[in-house]
Amino acid sequence: MKALTGNRLDDGEAVFWKDGRWVARFVDATIFDDEDRATEAEAKAKSQLTVVVDPYLIDLIESEGLWAPLSYRERVRALGPTNHPQHGKQALGGEDIAALQHAHGAARSTGRVALIKRK
Amino acid sequence: MYRYDVIDKEFVADRTAEFREQVTRRLAGEITEDQFKPIRLLNGLYLQLHAYMLRVAIPYGSLNSAKLRKLAYIARVYDKGYGHFTTRTNLQLHWIKLKDAPEILEHLAEVEMHAIQTSGNTIRNVTADPYAGATADELDDPRVWAEAIRQWSTLHPEFAFLPRKFKIAVTAAAKDRAATRVYDIGLALRRGRGGELGFEVMVGGGLGRTPYLGPTIREFLPTRHLLSYLQAIIRVYNRHGRRDNIWKARIKVLVASLGAEEFGRQVEAEWEKSDKAEVDLPDTELARIRGWFRPGFAKLAPRSEAFEAAKAADPAFARWTRHNVHPHKQPGYAIVDVSLKVPGQTPGDMSWEQMEVAADLAERFSLDDIRVTYQQNLLLPHVRLDDLPAVHKALAEAGLATPNMELISDIIACPGLDYCALANARAIPIAQQIATRFADDERAEAVGELKIKISGCINACGHHHVGHIGILGVDKKGEEFYQLTLGGSGEEDAALGQMLGPALPADKVAEAVEQMVEVYMRERRDGERFLDTFRRTGVAPFKEAVYADAH
Repeated sequence: MKALTGNRLDDGEAVFWKDGRWVARFVDATIFDDEDRATEAEAKAKSQLTVVVDPYLIDLIESEGLWAPLSYRERVRALGPTNHPQHGKQALGGEDIAALQHAHGAARSTGRVALIKRK
Repeated sequence: MYRYDVIDKEFVADRTAEFREQVTRRLAGEITEDQFKPIRLLNGLYLQLHAYMLRVAIPYGSLNSAKLRKLAYIARVYDKGYGHFTTRTNLQLHWIKLKDAPEILEHLAEVEMHAIQTSGNTIRNVTADPYAGATADELDDPRVWAEAIRQWSTLHPEFAFLPRKFKIAVTAAAKDRAATRVYDIGLALRRGRGGELGFEVMVGGGLGRTPYLGPTIREFLPTRHLLSYLQAIIRVYNRHGRRDNIWKARIKVLVASLGAEEFGRQVEAEWEKSDKAEVDLPDTELARIRGWFRPGFAKLAPRSEAFEAAKAADPAFARWTRHNVHPHKQPGYAIVDVSLKVPGQTPGDMSWEQMEVAADLAERFSLDDIRVTYQQNLLLPHVRLDDLPAVHKALAEAGLATPNMELISDIIACPGLDYCALANARAIPIAQQIATRFADDERAEAVGELKIKISGCINACGHHHVGHIGILGVDKKGEEFYQLTLGGSGEEDAALGQMLGPALPADKVAEAVEQMVEVYMRERRDGERFLDTFRRTGVAPFKEAVYADAH
C-alpha cells in the first residue's frame, strides 16, 4: 500500500494526495493498492508546479485498523514535532492521529533517500 | 554593536525586494523549484518536514534589545511563538510560510539583520567568544576582528561559490569558548614576544562525517594582516577543494590530504604574492570598528553588599550565581548566563515572551547588549553586581534562570528528526529524557561539569564529536538508534570522542548516561571532571557498565 505526499509550496505544510487534490490530514489521503495507479498519480503531482514541492510515494502499514506511513520520518511529517505536541497536525487529535502515534513500522524514508540522492 | 552604512542598508533592502519578486514568480509558476531553491537558500530559507525554516544570521552572536524584540515579533506573528538558537549562534524559525518570507526579511532589515549566507557554499556567519568585551582573560575584543571578517566576507564575489560551506570562529582568550579547533578556520589571538598581537591560525577543523581538529598552520599572524591571510587560505581552498564530491569538499579534507605543512606552505606562497595592502584594513577603519564596541562602564566598587547579602539570604540565588554568573573585567560587573535549558524542555528554544523579557533586561541592566552562545544559551555580558538579584528574579519568573551552565542538563541538541529534513533520528527527546533524570539541582551540581552534545545525523550540528558524552542518532532500517562517544571536547583541550560500543535504542540512552555518571562518581579523584576521569581511566569501565546486560 502506498500514499503520495509532498510539501505545499506556499506554506511548506506536509500534504497528501487525495484524488487529484491535496489534503493536510493523512487519514484523508488516497491509499493506492495498485503500483501503476500510484506512479501515475505521482507523475501528475510532479506537474503541479505551483501547488506542491517534490512529491513522492511512501509505503504504508496497518495500525489500529487504519493505515499509517511505514517510516518514522513520514509519521513525524503526518503528526508534527514530538517536542511540541500542540504544534502540527497532531494537535487536532482523533482516532486517526492516535493510530499514527501508535504505529510501529520501521523503514528508511523514501523522502529522505530521495533528498540525499538529489544533494 | 555593528552598524550598517548606507551601502549595507541599500543592499539589504534591494536584496529583500528582489526576493519578494522571486517569491511572487515562484508562486505564480514562472520559475520552477529547481530554479528557485538555490535562490531561497541564499536567503536562508530551507524547506523542512513541516514548513519552511528561516535561519537568521546573528553576527558573532551579538544582539541588542531592538534586534531581540524584532525576533520576538517575528516569532509571534509569523511562527508559532518561538525560535530555536543553534550551535552556530543563529536563530532558526521552524514554521515559516514562503509567502511571508519577504515580509520577514523586511522586518529583519529594519534592525540591521538578514539571512544572507546562512546557507550555501559561502563564508557563513562568523562566530566569536560570547564573553567578548567582558572577560578579563582576553587580549583584545574579538568582535573587532569578527566584524572585520563579517564585512569582508559578506557578498565577497570571489568566495560566493566555494567548494562547500565555510565557517570561521574567533577567540581572544586562552579559554576557548568559540570551539575554534572544529572550524574551517579557527583564529585565536596570542601575544607575540615583542608584545604585538597576532592570531594563531588553525585550518581544517570540522565535525560531520569526517571529524578533524584543525591543525595550526601559522603560530603567529600579525593582526593587521588578518584579511589578506584569510584571502590566501580561501584562495588555496577555492583552487583545490573537491567540488566533485560533496563528502570530500570541505577544507578539512583538503588540509588532511595535503598535510597541514604543505597546505600551510601553499597558503604562505599565495599570501606572499598577494597585494596585502589592497585587502588588509587600514588602522583608521579598524579604529572605526573598535569604536562600536566600547560600552560605557560606570566606575563601581569591586564588591557589592547587596549582592553578598542576597547570596547569603537565598540559597537558590547563591546556586544560580555559582553556575550562571562569571567574573567581569570591570570591577562591580558580572557576566550572566541566560539558560535555555529547562530540564524537559527543548534545548535552545525561546518563546517570544522570553525574548521580550531578555531584551528588557539587556536594555535595563546590560548596556543594551545580549549574546548568543554556541551552547544554545544567551548571556547578558555587562550586569552590575548590585543588579544581580533583580536580574535573577526577572529571569526566574520567565523560566530563564535554571542554574545549570556546563552541567549535565545543559545539553546541546540539534532540531533532529522532529524538524530537519536531513535527520536520521530525533535529538530533542533524548536531551529531554537525560535532563529530566538530572533535573534535581543538587544532583546536577554534585556531578559537576559534564557536556552532553546530541546530533540527529552525521552532519553533527549538535557537535556530538566534541561532547564529553556525544550522542549521534542513526537510522537502523528506519528505527532510531544512538551511538555514544566519550571524551570529546571543543575547547582549548579539544579532542574527538571515542566510541563507546554498539548503538543503543532510544529508550536506553538516558539510562546509559546515568550508568556512566555512576561510574564517574565512583572512579573520580579530587576535583576531576567527568572528562578528566575518562581520560585517566579510558573507555573500559564505562563500556562495562553500559553493556553489562549484554554479556
